[in-house]
Amino acid sequence: MKKIWMFCVAFLATVTMMMGITKVDAAQPNYIITTDATYPPFDFQDKNNQYTGIDQEILKTIAKREGFTYTLKPMSFNAATQSVTSGQADAVIAGMSITDERKQVFDFGTPYYKSGIAWAVKKGSTIKSLKDLKGKTVAIKTGTAGADYALSIQKKYGFKVTYFSDSDTLYNDVINGNSQATFGDLPVLQYTIKNGTKLKVMNPTNPYEAGWYGFAVKKGDNAQLLAAFNKGFAAIKKDGTYQKIVNKYLGAPASEFTGSKSDNSSVFGILKSNENAFMKGLWQTILLTLFGIIFASLWGVLLGIMGVSQNSVIRGVSTTIIYIFRGMPLMVLAFFIYIGLPGVIGTKIPAFTAGVITLILNEGAYTGAFVRGGFEAVDKGQMEAARSLGFTYGKSMYKVIMPQGLKIMVPSFINQFIITLKDTSILSAIGILELTQTGTLIVSRNSQGFRVWAIIAVIYLVVITLLTWFSNWVEKRTRS
Amino acid sequence: MSEAQVKVHVDKVNKSYGENHVLRDISLDIAENEVVVMIGPSGSGKSTFLRMLNQLETPDNGTIIVDGYDISDKNTDINKVRENIGMVFQNFNLFNNYTVLENIMLAPVELKKLDKVAAEKKARELLETVGLSDKADMPVSSLSGGQKQRIAIARALAMTPDIMLFDEPTSALDPEMVGDVLDVMKNLAESGMTMIIVTHEMGFAKQVADRVVFFESGKIQESGTPDQVFDAPKNERLQEFLSKVTHA
Ligand SMILES: Nc1ncnc2c1ncn2[C@@H]1O[C@H](COP(=O)(O)OP(=O)(O)O)[C@@H](O)[C@H]1O
Ligand SMILES: [Mg+2]
Repeated sequence: MKKIWMFCVAFLATVTMMMGITKVDAAQPNYIITTDATYPPFDFQDKNNQYTGIDQEILKTIAKREGFTYTLKPMSFNAATQSVTSGQADAVIAGMSITDERKQVFDFGTPYYKSGIAWAVKKGSTIKSLKDLKGKTVAIKTGTAGADYALSIQKKYGFKVTYFSDSDTLYNDVINGNSQATFGDLPVLQYTIKNGTKLKVMNPTNPYEAGWYGFAVKKGDNAQLLAAFNKGFAAIKKDGTYQKIVNKYLGAPASEFTGSKSDNSSVFGILKSNENAFMKGLWQTILLTLFGIIFASLWGVLLGIMGVSQNSVIRGVSTTIIYIFRGMPLMVLAFFIYIGLPGVIGTKIPAFTAGVITLILNEGAYTGAFVRGGFEAVDKGQMEAARSLGFTYGKSMYKVIMPQGLKIMVPSFINQFIITLKDTSILSAIGILELTQTGTLIVSRNSQGFRVWAIIAVIYLVVITLLTWFSNWVEKRTRS
Repeated sequence: MSEAQVKVHVDKVNKSYGENHVLRDISLDIAENEVVVMIGPSGSGKSTFLRMLNQLETPDNGTIIVDGYDISDKNTDINKVRENIGMVFQNFNLFNNYTVLENIMLAPVELKKLDKVAAEKKARELLETVGLSDKADMPVSSLSGGQKQRIAIARALAMTPDIMLFDEPTSALDPEMVGDVLDVMKNLAESGMTMIIVTHEMGFAKQVADRVVFFESGKIQESGTPDQVFDAPKNERLQEFLSKVTHA
């Protein structure tokens, strides 16, 4: 038992030191800028797992010329925008449309890209205009602006719709002739076509519901950064760098960014070409899991002990904490801590720290509940016998009840460890680049959902198996 | 009975569980070295009374003085008083997370700060007296009921108590185990221990009791020497009770 503790302490010390080293020198002006890296051609990871895209290249070029540095924090689109409004980050660039609603909370830089809804048909199709869609089927992706637009004109043009949740299947449906057209974001469609999808955009120069993308900071904040962006943007627009960047992404062949076909069309190829990304993601998942397991267990045991206290106030506190944090979805808790809390307490919380705190509170509550249950499951006679000998309540707990209770709980602990490991995947939502987020980024680049998610699933299973073995080994050691 | 001799003094104690008035105005004095056996039908309040003597249950009112300490007084350090009152339970309640020897040593080491060597020596002596020397290093789960109960007695004796309480110590045992446990208790009685015993073993009661107390409906209906209680019972309910247990 002592050895395990020493290992934990040494491990924590090492990680804390490592985190300290990666801290940026405070003297340099350095901005935190968020993005959603699942939105090619604007924001995505290339075949070397570097963040790239039109947005990223514009940002990089401007930063270099205007002399500021930044740390890029990729996360989900909603988390990316909310991080800025809550003060966790300084700016966001994520293919984000400028709307009146968003202007209430953001200050936008010079609009940098005109986008809108386009429609596309199979290459060589006889359909020439929207009128030709009468009686035909249109494929749309659930929840997108393209889908909304298609539905709004469906009656007028008299077509049927069929829904998809995954772009690749949708495109194939059109190419195979099951459906005859699709609606989507113009640049996204263009990028897909340049990357080899055999479709044709029908309105490349006049997208419907056209709007502009903008770089944004929190309203009233970071005026200097915004000014630098605008100045830099004017310059790259003027000298043609901007157009070069756009052409590069909308005119390049597929393999330029997504890697060669062989790297993407087999499990082995995907594994090999993304080895680094998988390893890094796995390491983050393991770190989150270990921190989560260790601290949630400590916190949970404390809650469990409080839950069987003789003092009804302490018992009440324990019950309330368990009730609140067991009832709250993990993702809500993560958003609350990462995005909600900093606005109130006035300091930034790093995503990893926020993730670990989320795990501690959530998994700790579950742990607390079964720890309390385990203590209560110990035969009442054990406590009476200890008390009758003159032991205090506390000492009876410590010497007699807790050792027996903890033994009862071992299977619950192992179960909770596995749940913790799985729950770390939810923390991808606040931009922690763990295994699941790694998978999301790779799929958004190479569209190999089946193969990539199969790889990720297998990695999780392997880690869970190892964790189970380790837990069983610890269980055996504590038994003897 | 002089004041100094009184080990247990109970005066007008009442106890209710909700509407259920379990003990009604109980008063009882027990002298040093005295062996008192309590009999009575199930549910009559015997256990509740016994458990009140070491505060496992608290009375609603009345006075309880044990070993010179007023344990009905909130300021009394009950843990100190309990160190001198041994208790043996119907279900043994040996500590499952310790071996036989550890069960016996735990309280002396933790509470009396006895050093381990001395505590172990004493524990082995006690194992000898209850006839279970060979079980010292066994886990308690490997023992039979009779063996468990003898270990439980040894565990209580390890604290060198002044008073021993027994709550139906043989009720959970197979008949062939009962004798060994009763023998240990007989020896203890002969050594002069003050004992209060709840039991249905009438033969044993006749043999060792200085006094037999009959409980019924939360009241002491009759008490006296074994001869008086068993051979010339005056109380009607006692007569009824005795005819039931002896003809069962
Ligand atoms: N913890 C308790 N809560 C409620 N009622 C109890 C409790 N303990 C005992 N009683 C009740 O008190 C009465 C006396 O019980 P007890 O002292 O165990 O009797 P005996 O030991 O003579 O069989 C019974 O009616 C029993 O149901
Ligand atoms: Mg009873």
